[in-house]
Amino acid sequence: MSAAIAVAVLGASLSLNGVFRGWVWLVPAVTTVFVVGLTLAVLRALRVHPALTTVGGLLALVCILDFTFFRPESIAGFIPSGPSLDALGRFLERAGETVVSETAPVSPNAGIVFVACAGLGLVAVLIDALAVPLGMPATSGLGLLVVLIFPATIKPQGSGLLGFLAAAVGFMLILGCSQWFAPDSRLQSDNAPGTGQLKRSVVIGGVALVLGLLLPLAIPGFERGTFPVGSRLNPWGVSNGLNPMITLGNSLRNPTSDGSITYATSSTAPVYLRSVTIDKFDGDTWAPDDREATRRIGPGRMAPDYPLPSELVRQLTVVDTGQFSSPYLPVPYAPTAVNGLSGRWSWDPATLSIRGEDTTAKNQQYTVYSALPALTSATLSQDNARPTSISQDFIQLPSNVPDIVKNTAKTVTSGANGNYAKAMAIQDYLRSSQFSYSLQAPVQGGYDGNGMSVLADFLQQKSGYCVHFASAMAVMARLEGIPSRIAVGYAPGHSTGATVAVAGQEPLPEFQVDARDAHAWPELYFEGVGWVAFEPTPSRGVVPPYAAEPAAAGGPSTNLHDENLVPGSSTPPPSTAAVPPLAGPGVGSGTAAGSATVLYVAAAVLLLAVLAASPRLVRSGIRARRLRPARRKQAGPGGASGPSMPRDGPVLAWAELQDLATDYGLPPVPSETPRHFAARLRTSAALGAPVAAAPVAAASPSGTDDDAGARAVASLTADFEQERYGPPPGVRANPSTANSSRANTSTAEANTAAVRIAAVRAAFRRNASWFAVFRADWFPPSLMSRWTQLLWTPFRWLGRICAAAARRAAATVQGLFTAIRWRR
Amino acid sequence: MDSKRHGTVDEPFLRDEAVVALPPERESLNGHKPTVMDPGQFHTASEKILAAINKVIDGKAEAAKLALTVLLAQGHLLVEDVPGVGKTLLAKTLARTIDCRVSRIQFTPDLLPSDVTGVSIYNQSSRQFEFRMGAVFANIVIGDEINRASAKTQSALLECMEEHQVTVDGHSYQLGEPFMVVATQNPIEMEGTYPLPEAQRDRFMARISMGYPDKLSEIEMLETHQAASPLAKVTPVVNSADVAAMIATVQQVYVSQSVKEYTVALGRATRDSARLRLGASPRSLLQLLRAAKATAALDGRDFVLPDDVISVAESVLAHRIILDRKAASSGDTPQSIIRAILASLPVSQDTAAERRSS
Repeated sequence: MSAAIAVAVLGASLSLNGVFRGWVWLVPAVTTVFVVGLTLAVLRALRVHPALTTVGGLLALVCILDFTFFRPESIAGFIPSGPSLDALGRFLERAGETVVSETAPVSPNAGIVFVACAGLGLVAVLIDALAVPLGMPATSGLGLLVVLIFPATIKPQGSGLLGFLAAAVGFMLILGCSQWFAPDSRLQSDNAPGTGQLKRSVVIGGVALVLGLLLPLAIPGFERGTFPVGSRLNPWGVSNGLNPMITLGNSLRNPTSDGSITYATSSTAPVYLRSVTIDKFDGDTWAPDDREATRRIGPGRMAPDYPLPSELVRQLTVVDTGQFSSPYLPVPYAPTAVNGLSGRWSWDPATLSIRGEDTTAKNQQYTVYSALPALTSATLSQDNARPTSISQDFIQLPSNVPDIVKNTAKTVTSGANGNYAKAMAIQDYLRSSQFSYSLQAPVQGGYDGNGMSVLADFLQQKSGYCVHFASAMAVMARLEGIPSRIAVGYAPGHSTGATVAVAGQEPLPEFQVDARDAHAWPELYFEGVGWVAFEPTPSRGVVPPYAAEPAAAGGPSTNLHDENLVPGSSTPPPSTAAVPPLAGPGVGSGTAAGSATVLYVAAAVLLLAVLAASPRLVRSGIRARRLRPARRKQAGPGGASGPSMPRDGPVLAWAELQDLATDYGLPPVPSETPRHFAARLRTSAALGAPVAAAPVAAASPSGTDDDAGARAVASLTADFEQERYGPPPGVRANPSTANSSRANTSTAEANTAAVRIAAVRAAFRRNASWFAVFRADWFPPSLMSRWTQLLWTPFRWLGRICAAAARRAAATVQGLFTAIRWRR
Repeated sequence: MDSKRHGTVDEPFLRDEAVVALPPERESLNGHKPTVMDPGQFHTASEKILAAINKVIDGKAEAAKLALTVLLAQGHLLVEDVPGVGKTLLAKTLARTIDCRVSRIQFTPDLLPSDVTGVSIYNQSSRQFEFRMGAVFANIVIGDEINRASAKTQSALLECMEEHQVTVDGHSYQLGEPFMVVATQNPIEMEGTYPLPEAQRDRFMARISMGYPDKLSEIEMLETHQAASPLAKVTPVVNSADVAAMIATVQQVYVSQSVKEYTVALGRATRDSARLRLGASPRSLLQLLRAAKATAALDGRDFVLPDDVISVAESVLAHRIILDRKAASSGDTPQSIIRAILASLPVSQDTAAERRSS
């Protein structure tokens, strides 16, 4: 049993592959689960009290975790001590960092592996407790589901077939073991499984399969993997701003987010909204550097700490952030003043990024005055010198730049002369048809994220999204001596068609950006000009005119004139194919969406109709099946199975009578004998005027229809009593005649049962109010109560478990109190 | 032996004065199994007996039916009620309607066990001991005011009841079939009595209390019983062979598994009840089922319904269970508790077939 549980948990944990990078985590996980399972098995073999078994499993879990992770700090290698608790705190902190800062697959550092092992061990103990002492092996599937849910929500491709199958096999093993070793008496059927049972299981399996296949079609969001919708369930919203680089990919993959920013600008072209820049390229994860030392409060007047050219193009932009939430304020580059903000904001002279000190960008309306040098390719190409007026922060590279990055940079810029030419060469290289835009490829290839190793992977696979393109260009530019940084923010978005009136200005065209427009782009520094944005990402954003070469202008810059700037709608075919979630709102799908809506509505109406009618349908189905002439199986070889076959005709008819009475407000009472129940029916007004309880045999054929109902009840009762309590046919004095007559009358019997039930039903209907009749027809209480019971079953279980736990806890507390009092 | 000191063992119905040999018909009954009656015959016979009893005792049809049930179920009956409500009359009438040996023992404190069972006495002429049968050698034994006899004497009778045989001086003497003891007990007069302990009460299949007749029945009783003893008019309607056949018929009644389960559930419920100090014993469940079989047969059925069990449960179980002190002080009676248990005990109606269908 414990082995089956261990197998199931490990099987489910196989799906964690892909959440972690590599398979390093597997060894500690296997050890943990194995030790816990072994402990449970040994304790159970020793017949320890079930509660103690669970406690023992938990202790074993603590010991093995301690042994695996904190061996040096603990007593005797496996007993936790003070220092190991400190180490535990560090591990948890580290795991927390990992969870916050990295996306799947994460590097398998000790902290996260520790958390995973502890979780798996806990799940194993939990499943064991559910399956064995509580005797609910079926519910242990919940524990496995807990394991499966993590990869399903974190990995975009879902849990993976292998892990799912392994978990399913383990679950089957648990069920099988519990049946073999601790047979549930409730599930024991006295007769061997017949064809009916097989048929029923096939029907149930078929219905489950069909539902499983049809439901994903009806519910939008199921598109890939096992539970790919989970990858879009981002409970932290669009971006929590802790590391914009990380959340960017999630925002792009999560096109259903509702937060959107609207802005209106006086610029001739729609503007990029920049939140923050990233300029430190060392470490596993690139994150913004806030430069706390040099930050200044109050963005009312801002000036960069580097020289700007004298001729500037001044712009005015009005921004409404709506539900967008981030510590950094999205503003067009380069802001000179921001007005209308609420809360305290600070800005960094080096990067001009604006950060909230005690507030976020949520629900802010503000006006940004920005100034941008008038840039042309001519002005840019004048600068060839190594920049001197800029901090060395923007040129430094870590020592671990992969060779492929260096080599690529050298090759690409070999023919270029001058910084601008080099930058253009890199941009052209990245925009060339060798590279494709894909949100999914990095995830599947395992290089989603940022960092030098990711960059190397990207240059090999030549597929990725803006983060990869931007960081590739920024790093290669630094390799070539050009100061660079990565700007994170939003691509221009699309026009809403509305205009915004701003005092002293003409009405400004309004634009809207949402999570789909989340973007990253490189900014390169040119002496005398300042920071200049480039656009190396194919199919995204707008290539600035200064960065668009005559040759390339025809292709990408068409985006400028595209009315609908949703990326992906007019892009090269490979990227469209690779980004199915983004292709949805494209221009061409309008009519398809219309017909789909009609289909949905029709399906919904149909579904509602079926739902409304289903109690009635099911009820009539049950009735018809109960009253169907029983197909009597022929006696087996030697007639041995003949007499032992239950005659369920009268029993089924009786069940129908009970349900019928329930439907019309006379439910049977458990402590009632059939005779009492029948007497109650006959004397109640439901069957018409109370009639004297005539003896069953002496029911005279005279009287009204109500009498017919009463008589039918009487004869049904008699039949049922005979069937239920009477001697089995084989015991009778003359079994041969009884058998033969029974075989002949089997059909007739069913028919009379049907006739009698019909008579009872007619009597009920005649004497019930219209409401009762309606209810009995459409919402038969007999069925509804059974369904509600079924619905509440899990909650009842939960309640029972909670109650038991509470009782146990209360007993423990009381015991403790008693002990303390006794001590005193 | 002096049997007329204080207690009386009078045998007004004992026609067979010879006590040396067992009556021949008794031997024949013991010899081979009596034939089973067919339902029609059974019905007529039982109707005749009940009609005869009801002619004598007015308004006590239920008590009469229960007495007959106990007789057919081969049990013993304890009639417990205040004096003067017809306890002895019921016993005598039942005995009279059946053509069989009947004896009556009036229990007194000084009645000896040998008065009940019989004694060996030395015959001077034949120079050997002869066994003189006691009052218990009869088909129906009426034990009047059994609680007035000493515990010794009581237990002598109770042993006979249980084993259907008498052992005196190492010799065992089989009692006749049918054999039934109808004992009466007076709960009011407690002075100088030895009420049956719980263990002894368990030997009686059922305890009934007569209760006062209703107004009309009482008026009628005053009318009819003025002139002569009603017993004089009673003539036997069946003979002991008929009764033996009826008993055999009752034994043939089928008991289904679910009725057995219901009976056991009932017994367990009395044992688990918080209001009872002592629940129903396994023997009492056996007797309950036997009584239920007799009820079913009297109802014209060849199988037992839970209704049969319910209908006799109160009479069969009430005198065997002992209330918790708290329950007793709060006004519960054994009867009320059994009724409450019956009302809460589910009658399992779902069979495997039904479960599959729903």
